[in-house]
Amino acid sequence: MPNQNTDAEAALQKLGHRVRLGWAKKHPIPDKSLESVKNTVREQWEQEQAVSRISKPAPSPTKDRQPKPPEPDIER
Amino acid sequence: MDDLIKLVRTYRVTAGLAERLRLAEAIFHLIAPDLRAFVFNAIVPQAAEDVSQEVLISITASLKTFEGSSNGEFWKWCYKIARRRIYDHIKKRDSDRLQPMPHEELLDLLDASEQAEPLTAADRHDLEYALNLLDSSKPECRGYLWNHYVIGFDYGEIAEEQNLNYDNVRMKIGRCLEEAKSLVA
Repeated sequence: MPNQNTDAEAALQKLGHRVRLGWAKKHPIPDKSLESVKNTVREQWEQEQAVSRISKPAPSPTKDRQPKPPEPDIER
Repeated sequence: MDDLIKLVRTYRVTAGLAERLRLAEAIFHLIAPDLRAFVFNAIVPQAAEDVSQEVLISITASLKTFEGSSNGEFWKWCYKIARRRIYDHIKKRDSDRLQPMPHEELLDLLDASEQAEPLTAADRHDLEYALNLLDSSKPECRGYLWNHYVIGFDYGEIAEEQNLNYDNVRMKIGRCLEEAKSLVA
């Protein structure tokens, strides 16, 4: 009987699936669970923003300066 | 229904906070019921709420590192994180390990599952067979069959948890299944 093992395994796995389904029906998820997950997303996003601010090169203090005009030739 | 893997892949490339929150919430609603049930079937309820929360937070925090491309791969990855968290908890507090559920409690959950997904005649036949396999097993074997097939721990995880080697666990579970089948037949 080649399928007997597979049938027994599949039946036990189906039981696992049904237990999880039934359990989820009987125990609704508390609101605070979703809130904690959203807080994780916010914290991670803020960290990424902070890192990207640090990794951007700071504006050079000489950046806005006008180039020096050429020095006039001094005729002697 | 939103395709889970599409949500995950979009999350990975989304930069805006509002959109990430929307995607994370959608992913949460798809994965939380199964993962919470998974944790609550492995450890006692007093600890399971905290552990399941840790699992969901770990998954959310690691979404950007997930590299798979199918729903199956994503679920496998989620359960791996969940099993790791459960295992870490049991290692610290062995007394929190949940024993296989009593028969009556299982029947109660199977009834409740019908509200989510109706049972066909073939399902009922399979579930009755599964319950008979568990009920006819000796306590040690019932534990192995429960952990491997119902909860979903793989051989390696059971071996690590019980300080046994992989092949030893694989053979034990195989023998337990054979024995249960011969008793039910």
